[in-house]
Amino acid sequence: MSQPHGEPVLPDLALSSPVDPPRRSLASRFLRANEASVILATVGLVLFIGLLHPSFLQPSQLINIVQQAVFVGILAAGLSFLMSMREIDLSVESTFALTLVSAALLMKAGLNPWLAALAALVLGALLGGINAAAVQYFKIPSLIATLATLSMFRGLVFALSNGQQVTGLPLDHPFFSVLSGNFLGLPLPIWCLIILIAVLSLIMGRTPYGYRVRQIGSNPAAASFSGIPVARVRVQSFMLAGLLAAVAGLLGLSYFTSADPNIGGGFSLSAVAAVVIGGTPLRGGVGTVPGAVLGAVLLTVVTSGLVYFNVPANWSQFATGLVILIAVSLDSVVRNRNRGSDASES
Amino acid sequence: MATFEALGIRKSYGGTHALKGVDFRVRSGSVHALLGENGAGKSTLVKILTGAQRPDAGEVQLDGRVVHFANTAEAGKHGVAVVSQELSLFPDMDVLSNLYPMRERRRGPLVDRTEMRRLALPVLHSLGLNPDLNAPLADLSLAERQLIEIARALITQPQVLVLDEPTSALEASSSARLLSALKVLRERQVAVVFVSHILQEVMDLCDEVTVLRDGEVVLASAPVKSLGVSGIVSTMLGDRAKLRRVEEDAESRAGVQALAQQVTSTHAGPLTVSGLKVQGGAQDVNLEVRPGEVIGLTGLMGAGHQSVLEAVAGLRRTDAGSVTFPDGRPGPRDLRAGIARGLAYVTGDRKRLGLMLDKSIWENVAAVQSVGLGRTGLWLSVPALRQRAQDYVKSIGIRVGSVDHPVSSLSGGNQQKVVLAKWLETQPGLLLLDDPTRGVDVGAKAEMHGMVRALADGGAPTLVCSTDLEELTGLCDRVLVFYAGHMCAELSGEALNSQTLLEAMNTGRGPSAEVAA
Repeated sequence: MSQPHGEPVLPDLALSSPVDPPRRSLASRFLRANEASVILATVGLVLFIGLLHPSFLQPSQLINIVQQAVFVGILAAGLSFLMSMREIDLSVESTFALTLVSAALLMKAGLNPWLAALAALVLGALLGGINAAAVQYFKIPSLIATLATLSMFRGLVFALSNGQQVTGLPLDHPFFSVLSGNFLGLPLPIWCLIILIAVLSLIMGRTPYGYRVRQIGSNPAAASFSGIPVARVRVQSFMLAGLLAAVAGLLGLSYFTSADPNIGGGFSLSAVAAVVIGGTPLRGGVGTVPGAVLGAVLLTVVTSGLVYFNVPANWSQFATGLVILIAVSLDSVVRNRNRGSDASES
Repeated sequence: MATFEALGIRKSYGGTHALKGVDFRVRSGSVHALLGENGAGKSTLVKILTGAQRPDAGEVQLDGRVVHFANTAEAGKHGVAVVSQELSLFPDMDVLSNLYPMRERRRGPLVDRTEMRRLALPVLHSLGLNPDLNAPLADLSLAERQLIEIARALITQPQVLVLDEPTSALEASSSARLLSALKVLRERQVAVVFVSHILQEVMDLCDEVTVLRDGEVVLASAPVKSLGVSGIVSTMLGDRAKLRRVEEDAESRAGVQALAQQVTSTHAGPLTVSGLKVQGGAQDVNLEVRPGEVIGLTGLMGAGHQSVLEAVAGLRRTDAGSVTFPDGRPGPRDLRAGIARGLAYVTGDRKRLGLMLDKSIWENVAAVQSVGLGRTGLWLSVPALRQRAQDYVKSIGIRVGSVDHPVSSLSGGNQQKVVLAKWLETQPGLLLLDDPTRGVDVGAKAEMHGMVRALADGGAPTLVCSTDLEELTGLCDRVLVFYAGHMCAELSGEALNSQTLLEAMNTGRGPSAEVAA
């Protein structure tokens, strides 16, 4: 048999002149971005509803929609870290409710609202830590572990509040007046959301921690092989999700000015849907914070839009679920097509 | 002068002694080949050298100091980098971040991509790579990804670099790039451990060679120049091993031939492809594979040969043309439909596509016929499936402790035989092989080739997609060479040799074209 790699046979194969990487136009870069489809869908839907019902396009109405999306949006932002590393936290809505009610109870008991808020933030991170501990040390899949804590934390809400709404809060305190105020024409919670998007996007895209998160989701085996402290990153991500749920809880408390033990029911599933609609796949590896928040906005646009189309209130939950299914399927189809046409020889 | 040494290394798994007191020594500034057959202990030694496993006895020394690596990351900190046999990259992340796992450059709390890019570019260029650093890694081809992995190790400026099968998926041109990279490493006084199955490559690239056989060193740090390929082969095999192998080979061929006989009756026609245009792949492809023929498809990366195989398997959409299966009907809509019609798709990408690594051997053997197609009835009898697996272990010579062990416990060559076994189980009427002996050693490779040949003799048209010149010349009746999306040459008989193959792959001109011009 002749030699497998002929010796001087290698002709000058233009080895030394590597081909320039293909340059992509701005438009195609945008279309390849993970957030592209959710942006297009949201804008398209707003314009569509606006075309039929022009009053939908009034600034006050649009601001109102974003305001409603703030809570799920913040929960989704936290989940986008967990989901891009192939974990999930279904308990965020209970964390949201528990921090909200705890802060309200502390304020009612006479604690300075700012200190109560700080305590709620610490509590949120701790609750995330409990989830992390269950997943990390007892080796329970996060889907199951957080399904249990979803129920536990909600149970605590009812136990602490006696099942009653917490009212009689010091509403004249700056905590309430500042957080529910306006700045440059936008409600403060929306500003908080914008700042969070900016900061969390930086963390996701530009810090070593954000790299770790996505690397673990992309190839868990390679991640531990590369010496990435998977356990530590997991704990950090659960605590981040808890902390953000507490932030949402505090904004919710200042917005609603009372604490209902039922608050936030169904937020977890909306947040998970928002993350997926936003472009973070369930298999992880990719994560986008703005996408997740926009996913939440899209869901709110749908719910508000249904009102304009006179869908009976009792059908709106069905319609929302249907929209989630359609949105996620469309996204998956588009992604598969993109992948198919990009598939180069490998 | 710095050295990297392993002294008296012992390691056993259960009752098997993988390493029986091995000494190994690499000088700085030299490229040292570590050779040995399947199961000779190479992989185990590499794992110990790189901190992936700890030895039962013996020690590893760097510059005369004893070092203990708890894991690969710690080995990395000591300047021991490894490019592993299986790819360990992050497909969703962009190319740049794949080059710095856990080692991102920072400016304040943020990752400093500018600095990372500045440091990475010279290394990438020295390997002849110039990818879009912001594109996701999944956009790169397999061969490019493997070079990225080498680049990732080089960026750490290691004192010791272990290249574990670095070129098994690489094209000839990439090997040439590696050659120039190794030159740079020698100049920087890096100690390079080179593990490879491609012996000619070892002759071209390495300075010294150590050969392991049955967990012992049989040739220590011999200068490569003093040995020929045939000398190395006989050292690797040893006399007894050689005799045994021939018998085994004949036996496994007989077993496969018996199986193949049953296949002939069901499928008789050829596989034909006419005017095929694959989406994003090759164009104007016409070919016919008659029963009993083994046809090779080859080319440089991205030349389109692989897209043809994938289109035939129903893995890729086509824009034009048609595929006709041996049963006379058009090609399948998808892979499952094809498998149900007697197609077998043996892939070299064991980790991703070929096997369920954490499952037992018998479960993997049963994966297609009994589980995927459900041909053995509604109820799966575990004892029966184990027995089937046991039969294959005997008939095609898979070296295993027990069929209950996970496939991941086997060496690469034996894993690949499990892949073959699970397809043999379906009695295929059409055989598609994609780089079937990637990372498989010489002996197991020859056995695999024997089995493929036997299957083809039984009547299954066979297509082999490969870039292994030895495989193409040794196994195939005809080889179709692709260049830039078109079939540029068809080689057979005298014209089918390494030299013409390599020339056609790289220039797009076959020997006949020269005559015409």
